[in-house]
Amino acid sequence: MSHTHTDHIHPDDPTAEEIVRISCVRHTYEDGTSVHLCGLDFLAHRGKRVAVLGPNGAGKTTMLYHILGLLKPQEGAVEVFGVSPSEEWSSIRRRVGVVLQNVDEQIISPTVGDDVAFSPRQYGLPEAEVRERVERVLGLLGITELADRVPHNLSGGEKRKVALAGALVMDPELLVLDEPFEGLDPTSRQGLLDLLERLSRERGMTVVLSTHDIDTVPEFADYAYILAPGGTIALRGTPAEVFANAPVLARGNIKPPILAELFTRLRELDPTAPVTALTVDEAADALDAWKKC
Amino acid sequence: MDVAVLDRSAVSGNSHLHHAAPRTKLLAFALVLASIVVSTNLFIVLAVTFALLALIAAERLPARSMLPLAAYPALFAAVFAFASAPDALAAALIIAKAVTAALAAVTLMFTTPYPQVFAALQRVTPGLVGDALLMTYRAIFLLADKLADLTRAVRLRAGLSGAHPIRSAKATTRALGGLLLYSLDLSQREYDVLVLRGYSGRLKVAERPSTSPRTDRALIAGAVAILLTAALWRVYWISFIDYSWMPLAFALLCLAAALLLRRRNR
Amino acid sequence: MSHIHIPDGVLPVWLWLGGWLVALALVWLASSRSGSVDVRRKVPLVGIISALVLVSMSSEIVPLAYHINLTVIAGVLLGPQLAIISAFVVQIVLALLGHGGVTVIGLNTLMTMTEMLLGWGLFRALIAMLGRKRVRGASAMATVVTLAITTTLLVGLVAVSGVTGATARETGALDASNLTFASPFSDGIIGVGLFSGGEQAHEPEPGVGLSRFAAIVYTLGPLGWLLEALVTSAVLGYVARVRPSLIFAGALAPAERIIPGDEAIR
Repeated sequence: MSHTHTDHIHPDDPTAEEIVRISCVRHTYEDGTSVHLCGLDFLAHRGKRVAVLGPNGAGKTTMLYHILGLLKPQEGAVEVFGVSPSEEWSSIRRRVGVVLQNVDEQIISPTVGDDVAFSPRQYGLPEAEVRERVERVLGLLGITELADRVPHNLSGGEKRKVALAGALVMDPELLVLDEPFEGLDPTSRQGLLDLLERLSRERGMTVVLSTHDIDTVPEFADYAYILAPGGTIALRGTPAEVFANAPVLARGNIKPPILAELFTRLRELDPTAPVTALTVDEAADALDAWKKC
Repeated sequence: MDVAVLDRSAVSGNSHLHHAAPRTKLLAFALVLASIVVSTNLFIVLAVTFALLALIAAERLPARSMLPLAAYPALFAAVFAFASAPDALAAALIIAKAVTAALAAVTLMFTTPYPQVFAALQRVTPGLVGDALLMTYRAIFLLADKLADLTRAVRLRAGLSGAHPIRSAKATTRALGGLLLYSLDLSQREYDVLVLRGYSGRLKVAERPSTSPRTDRALIAGAVAILLTAALWRVYWISFIDYSWMPLAFALLCLAAALLLRRRNR
Repeated sequence: MSHIHIPDGVLPVWLWLGGWLVALALVWLASSRSGSVDVRRKVPLVGIISALVLVSMSSEIVPLAYHINLTVIAGVLLGPQLAIISAFVVQIVLALLGHGGVTVIGLNTLMTMTEMLLGWGLFRALIAMLGRKRVRGASAMATVVTLAITTTLLVGLVAVSGVTGATARETGALDASNLTFASPFSDGIIGVGLFSGGEQAHEPEPGVGLSRFAAIVYTLGPLGWLLEALVTSAVLGYVARVRPSLIFAGALAPAERIIPGDEAIR
């Protein structure tokens, strides 16, 4: 197994500051369904982009809800910025930005501008600063022209951007996104990926997201976690490491990205074929090198 | 009734009322409400009703969405009146009061974004009450939507036909339980979002300044006039009772004028 | 049962003012102890329950001219502290819609509150005695007993106030007010009588009115109690089966969340 992504730092890097840690949290819902986020600890370090993958019902959203303090661990522990979010959410909430799955429910103000301004106003920032922040974040997302619109009338993708603006307006150190790519067209999706990359690189923002969209993972994630059904944290590693582990992927009902599959098949046909490449650029380079030798 | 329609009207409307300061509108609303409360004269209450209708017509507010909302309380007020009022006039008064109060509230909510209203309310209510008021307001719309779905579903599945009254009653109450849980989940999520985004029991808004001070003054003057009228007919009713028709006639004239003007401008 | 449809100005000042003071004190008490996160987390539930009580109070089962109140359900699900808040919110909104006067908000809140608290206490006691399997039976019994007690309280209140039951159309009781208040027509004046603020009303000997009121309330009342008991036991039975924690986990236990989206929890 080789690292095609040299800039990806391994999760076990001891120098990085820990932002989120989940150790063996169990949550049992009233109908008896239980999610047991155990196996490996879930870690997210400062400035890293972390993807959580898993089949339906594995507990991705449950995990994010624990990070946000919306659920209280019945067993095990959750730490965000070193405190328990379900108990001390108010002390850390300014540092966390959130976009949940259903953005319709997340937009609560009657205009886009007011909605984005919601958090800074609740935190009592002076109005001039609130406006400046709103303007800046709307510009960042390229939706300045939506400021006076009524959110209900927007398209799904626009609503997602508005919700994201509302999450970014306080310059959070940790951004939590639940299925952020749903409802985005390919251009917006690429735009979001680029933006997240920039934010984590320039501002050291930590991003934790759950997704079904396997193809975004190699491009997005510094490292990824695979949840098996029932919540078991079965695997963590760089995207290359994760997608090379066919048995765990199969257990988690996860179909690897199409490029990973292609290279696996190639190696089956010809052992000299290159190891997995996950992005188109990498694949082109690898194939070119293979052709030459 | 979709809360979105209301929000849209409150935000993107462009009438004089939309330009007035929320504070002014709240004060005017309180004055009008007070006048309805003190009034015991059907004609006076009806005068307030028609004055409000005239305002709605003159301001070209979306009457089609507003009137059904305001009329809804009439439904239960009617049953209440039927059951408890000693005579037709008293019954009419009960209904008129309910509708007029609702009309005033609807006019306020259709011209003022809800955070502005609730931020002001929460300033004067004890912590948990203001918080609960806000969630109750949101929940009413949520429930109304779900209730409509529910009655449709019950009618389709079990039928309220009366063939099996017990079975259909059972289905209805079970549906009521389902409605309770479903709406609870929705409102829970809405509240989660509020808390995640920094809400802690008090909405904070940037108060909208008035963009038309003249409207503010006119609004207050009008509301004070209504309250004075109502108070006059309440306190000195013996001397004024014979002239009860006058405010009503005046209000009707205003409504007619508003409608006429509207037609001509079209 | 839980609110008196008495207009402003009928009851003696000491009574309604006292009602307001006690209610406000209780609301303040309940609210001031609400700083904890656990209470705040229940606010969506308060909103939904209040909205549901509002909706049900405002839609009547016509043949009986009776409206279900869901107050026992509210009490069981909210627990005492939040029930106080909910009762207050409900009565404010009802009063604003003309369903009873503004001065009686205090008394009405106390009545609703008493009903919720009694329902909650009785239900808890019965469950402790009968076990968790008997939610339906316990809630039905709690409802009937609660309503019987609050009805008696209301009769007591009416007796104390010296005003005949009049507009207090309660618990299925068709109204006795026709005979107890002057009809506006009989005075030849519009809007006097029931709604004139009492000072003009003919006061019949309280004893006659009261016994008549009590007779009606106690004969027709039980029908309403039974109906309410049926609805309450069906709804609480459903909730106990589907989301037991709402009933058993204690009023201030963290709310169970149903996670939206793809979690396999259904």
